[in-house]
Formats: sequence, structure tokens, C-alpha cells
Amino acid sequence: MNRIITTISIAAFMVLAVFSCKPKYNEPTYSKGEIDPSRFVMIGGGHVAGYMNDGLYFEGQENSLANIIARQLAKVGGGNFNQPLVDQSSIGISSNLLSPMKLGYKTDCQGVTSLSPIRIAAQGDLGVFNQNIYSTNALFGNYGIPGLKLADVFSSNSNSFFTRMASSSSASIMGDAFASQPTFFSLFLGLEEVLSFAKSGGTTEYIQPNILFASDYEQVLLTATANGAKGVLATIPDVSEMPYFTTIPWNGLTLDASSNTTLNSIYNPLDYYFSVGSNPFMIVDSTANAFAVRQILSTELLTLSLPLDSVKCNQMGVLFPIRDEFVLDAGELQYLRGVIAEYNQIIIDLAAKYNLAVVNVNEFSKNLQTGFVYNGVTMSSKFVSGGAYSLDGIHFNAKGNALLANEFIKSINSKYKSRIPQVDANAFNSTLFP
Amino acid sequence: MKQMYIFSLFLLGFLSINRSYAQGFQVNFQGQKQQGMGCAGTALFQDGASIFYNPGSVAFSNENSINIASTPIFSNVLYVDSATQHGYRTKNPVGTPFSAYGIFQAHKHDKLKFGIAAYTPFGSTVQWEENWIGRFALTRLELKAIYIQPTLSYRIADVIGIGAGFIISTGNVNLQKDVPVQDSLGNYGHAELAGKALGFGFNAGIHYDLNKKLTVGITYRSQINMKVKNGVATFTVPASLNTNFPDGVFTGALPLPNVTTLGWAYKATKKWQFVLDINYVGWKVYDSLAFDYEKNTTSLLDTKSARNYKSIFAFRGGAMYKANGKLDMRLGSGFGFSPVPDASVTPETPDANRFYFTGGLSYRFTEKFSIDASIYYTQLKRTAQNAETNLYGTYRTKAVAPGFSLIYKW
Repeated sequence: MNRIITTISIAAFMVLAVFSCKPKYNEPTYSKGEIDPSRFVMIGGGHVAGYMNDGLYFEGQENSLANIIARQLAKVGGGNFNQPLVDQSSIGISSNLLSPMKLGYKTDCQGVTSLSPIRIAAQGDLGVFNQNIYSTNALFGNYGIPGLKLADVFSSNSNSFFTRMASSSSASIMGDAFASQPTFFSLFLGLEEVLSFAKSGGTTEYIQPNILFASDYEQVLLTATANGAKGVLATIPDVSEMPYFTTIPWNGLTLDASSNTTLNSIYNPLDYYFSVGSNPFMIVDSTANAFAVRQILSTELLTLSLPLDSVKCNQMGVLFPIRDEFVLDAGELQYLRGVIAEYNQIIIDLAAKYNLAVVNVNEFSKNLQTGFVYNGVTMSSKFVSGGAYSLDGIHFNAKGNALLANEFIKSINSKYKSRIPQVDANAFNSTLFP
Repeated sequence: MKQMYIFSLFLLGFLSINRSYAQGFQVNFQGQKQQGMGCAGTALFQDGASIFYNPGSVAFSNENSINIASTPIFSNVLYVDSATQHGYRTKNPVGTPFSAYGIFQAHKHDKLKFGIAAYTPFGSTVQWEENWIGRFALTRLELKAIYIQPTLSYRIADVIGIGAGFIISTGNVNLQKDVPVQDSLGNYGHAELAGKALGFGFNAGIHYDLNKKLTVGITYRSQINMKVKNGVATFTVPASLNTNFPDGVFTGALPLPNVTTLGWAYKATKKWQFVLDINYVGWKVYDSLAFDYEKNTTSLLDTKSARNYKSIFAFRGGAMYKANGKLDMRLGSGFGFSPVPDASVTPETPDANRFYFTGGLSYRFTEKFSIDASIYYTQLKRTAQNAETNLYGTYRTKAVAPGFSLIYKW
């Protein structure tokens, strides 16, 4: 009898051990809250389009900010989200008709080979622009158009990234984007305005005045909310935090004893002094002195478009000062940041007026500049190693888009009492190393 | 005018080892009889496992005995990430800690006893599923430690026994995690740290029969610093980053805390016995976990991760019923506070305050030969955000440990 009890008990142990020890996963309950996500449209620039590594191409579009948000909306009833996809076999194309970039090896003028962004081909795939892919059966949801400025959404538009997806040659972005009568929308506008100014080193003088920006923005909102659609607006990041402007150090002029002596003899009469080691680059500034040249300040920024071979081998930034188009000087930065602050106030005020959610992309960019740890991975706005920006130093890569998409989702959830899950951003590609 | 592109790569918060299944308070998976009574037995001499529970009570042994046991651990963790609501599971292989105890005396009724124990307080592996969300914190941790404890016990009076043992601890650690750099196909890098650890300590105790019914026991197991010297760090990363992550040697250390136990045993009737143990575990020593790499680069820096554990109490108790001359039945339970603060909860030890329940049986086939069986069950839940990785979610753990032992006396 006791032996039987023992045997049964031993058998019971084994059964218990095998079957009872897995914690149960309760399927999460998602909900759309107060939004109707069935038809989602997003309007913006290259950041919305999935433009990355200085190019528009299939894989980038698959991982666009708009598409990642749409995929999560699909979990609470969102419908098909159509994107103007570049063919999967195409290498894609940049705004300058070049090919996208990848990380590879490049040999500089001094014969030093190092890891550097390089173009994947001699030129981009012009076929991307030669074919119109509009279809009435599958209206697009992603109206992220690289280079799109707010003022350009109302009338016909010759931007090649739009003409390839436009319903007709006379179509406007507003007309096409709202033809599907979206039930939920997102606007990420104003960024391309400040970006084009910043990328040009402040040589493009015109940025739309804030009064016009406000009235244009409101006009878009009037159309967008006409059917009672809810939406989420995005503020503009301080673009001067992007690696395009922060990678090349202001004091990257490294001098040995002999060049130090030479430079001091040349520039001391102008009251500029050098020492052995790091020194500020020389830049063009017409207001500085008769020679229109001065040392760059530590607060001023150099663009990634600076021709580095000229710097390394041809005295650029030394005897030949760096031209204005590669420099954001103190005055330009003050103006730029002023405009961004004004635009953002307009966006925040309009979000309040129309009772819409607003994502603080400006703050997200600041956090990235400080750096933060996401699920064990340190993310920052450092070029290449920071993990969030693509190789063009301006647009996010897939992982950066995923992180930003999570900010949109958090904002929607908090405003509209929805429960939309965030994405695991580490499941998206960051910089790929050879 | 050089170094225009500055690739100061990845200051990785690198590497953290931890006890695997060794919940906050130490795992008392020693002795099936003790496990059956809630893993308590400091004041009750039962069998060779008393070398672990109280070397002082070994003095009350009256024969030579050998005890061989194994307690397989079936443990599973589910992690639900708070942001994505996605669930990820461990795929732990079954832990198979074994133990062996021997008590010997030169002559019958000698006051001096010799004991030797070999046991594996940590013998399990945590293996997370592929591509889980915490893969940059941990993908796999294998910890194997074997304690060998030669012991001397002496009965200084009819009612008092004292004993002490020296502990030699040897172990293997293998810790793996993904490295957040991707190759041209998007595959993440991987790091593996493997090493042998060695540590020393002692275990001492007193056993005192207050009267015919009530016994009290006190033990102190010292802290053991498990030191890994000449551990091997191996990195699988894209070719262009090989120089940033050089394979090489590392050193590290893991303090296993001291444990002070006060225990009581009460013989209520001929058939019923009760035990109660209170542990105080000195987890406070585990304030940080440091790794020192022989070759440092901008990507691979020595690390020091805050742990800030706090010392805790654990309570364990149980009852035994002698059904007849051959069969004993046991039940027990325990509660332990978690030493792990919220900020230090990691995928290695998703620890929490826990209750557990145990049961057990002994059956004596003959005077000399008997078998014991025991079972342990616990489940726990912890929601926390780790301060180093920012992983934020809920860990749910279930563990069942059925154990068996064979005992031979002469």
C-alpha cells in the first residue's frame, strides 16, 4: 500500500513538473480609444517618407515613420496603408539624383582608408521619377514628400517625389491626400523649411514668415478635421542638433610646430592666434575684417557637406577660409532657432485649438542629443555610432523612425485614451557595418 | 587636421552576471527531508544534508551514512514588455543540481563525526528565446557552482553539538548577450564571457537540545567571493569593428552572501514534528558588479554596474508526520523578501518577494536503505524598470523542483 502511494506520488511530481510550470501569457487588449484609425494619412517631408541614407528606396519606405505608425494602428482597426513604393529591385534615388549611401571604406587624399559613408552606385535610379504609380484603387496614405514645404501643399507641385505619385499633373498634395477622406491624420510639417535654410549654411535667406506659416497650417487643419477626423501633430526638432551639423568639430584644425609658426605669422596681424594641437578653423565672414576671414567660434557649426579632402590636403579652413555655405554662424543659428521656436508655438497652439494630439519631436531630438538607453542600447545623435540617424546625418534610419513612431503612439494613447502598442525599436535596422 | 570622422563607438554598458535561479535568498535545495519541510532544518538532525543545514547537529548522528540526491529544477520565466505588450519566454534546460553527503565515525558512539558534502547551490541555465527584447541585457547565463565542504562535528555534551566545515567553491560561468552593432545583413553582434570561478568560505553551527521536545540551532555560513580570473571574452561583430571589440581576457567577481540562521525544532508527539528557520542573508555585500577587460577600447570599457542589494530575512517552516515505521510525510512553506531593488531587477534574476510550498515523503525499505522524495513549487511576479538598460516590464516565474535521494546507513 505504502509502496503504491510512493509510486503515485513520484508520478504526480513528474506530471506537475512538466505541465504546471509555465506562466500564462494573457493576450493584451488593445483599443483604438477615441480615434477611428480605418483610413490614416500622414503628410510631411523626407522624415515621413522613409527617405534615409540620402535616398528614397523600398526598404527605407517599408520602415518609414508613417508606415511604422500605420502598422501599429492596424492593431486597433487601421486599414490598408498604401505607400508610393519604389520598386524593390531599384537602388533608389536621392534629391540630387544620386544613389543612397552605405557604410564602406573610402581612401582620402592622404591615402588613408577608413570607414565612411559612400554612395552605393555612381548615380541614382532615374526610373523612380519616370513612372507615375498613382492608382485610384489604392489611394496613398503616406504623403511624406522629401523637401516638401507647407506652402507647397495647396497647388500643383513639380517636386519629383510628388509627381511620381500624383493623381494628375495639376494635382495638389492637399487634394490627393484628402481624396481618401482620412479618418485619422498626422502632420509633420515645417521641418523642410528650416532644414533647407540650415543645410545651405544659412545662404538660402527665405523661410516662410510665421504669420503665413500659421495661416497655411490652419488651412490644412480645417480640411483635415472637416469630417471630424482626429489627428496628431508634430513639433519641429532643432535641426542644428542633427549629426549633419555636429560631426565636424569646430576645432578640427590640428597643427604641428612648423605649421603653427607659419599660421601665426600670417594671421597674427589680424589678431588671430594659433597654438600647437587643436585650433579653430578659419571661415569666411564678410563682416569680420578687410580680408573677410575669422576663426570659427566654438558655438558655430560646420556642415557635413564640407569637402574634407580640401580640408585635409588643400588648406581649406586654414589659408583658404571655409565658405559660408558650409558654416552655420552664430547669427544664423540664432535666427534658425528663433524660427523653430515660433513654428513650434504655432503648432502647439493649433493642436490645442483643434483639440489634437501633439508629439514633442523637439524634445525627442534633445533627448537623443543627450543620449539615452533604450532596452539596453545606448542611442544618441552621434553620427554613425549614435544608432538613430542614417548616413545622411539628417534623416533617421529605420531604428530612429521606430523610436520616433513610439513617441507618436505614446502621444496618441495619452490624448485619445487608446491602447496602441509600441514597437520594439531594436528589431529595426540601424547603421549596418561591413 | 586628422580624424575628421570620429567614430567613438558604443559606450556599452557591458555585462552583468548574476545568480541565475538563486532567488534573493539562497537556494536551499539541499536535503529532500529538509526540502519537504519548507527547506528548513537547522535545529533538526535528519541526515547527511545537515552538513549543509547545521554542522553542529551532525554530532547527533549515530551511524555512518551516505546520501545521494538530485533536485531537477523546472523553471520558466515570462517577460511581458510594458511598451510593446509582447511576451517573451525563457527556454531553460532543466537544471540538474546534485548533491552527495557522507557522515562517518571511527567507532560507534564516538563524539567526533566526520562529514563531507558536495552540492551544487547554483546549477541552472537561463536561456531567453531568440531575438527577445532584452537581448542586449542577456541572452543566456549558465552558472554552475559546486561546493565541497569537509566538516568536523563534536558532541560536547549530551545536549550540545558543535561543528564547522570549510567550503571550497568552484564554478563555471558563461554569460552571453547581443551587442548592438549590425553587420551588412542586419545581424546583431554577440558577446560571450566564459570563465572559471573559485572561492572559499566556511559553515559553522551549534545544536542545542533545550529539553526533550525543543531544540534550537544556530548556523553561520560565510560570504564567499567567487572570483573569475582569466575569463575569456569572445565577440562576434562585423569585420570593420573587430578592433573595437578585441577578444581577450577579463576578470570579475561575484560575492555570495553570508547567511545566519536561527532554527527551532519541536517534537510535539511521537508522530508529529515541526521545524522553523529564520535566515538573515547578507546581500548588502552585492553593491555592484564589475568587469575588468584586459584590452580596453573606446567601445569596450571596464564596467561597474550598480546592484545595491539589501540584506533580507527569509522564513521557512514545515511539519513531519511519521505515518508508520516505514513512511514519513512532510509539508512546508516559506517566505523570503527580495534583496533586489526595482532598479536592479535584471533578466538574470527577475526576483521578487516570494512564497513557496513544499512537500515530501520518506520510505525505509530496510534498516539500512531508504529513499526520500520532495517537491518545491513557487511562482512570482515582478514589475520593474532596470536603471541600467531601461528594460521595463513584468516578469512572471514559475518553478517546480521535484527531488529524490537515496540513503544508505550502516
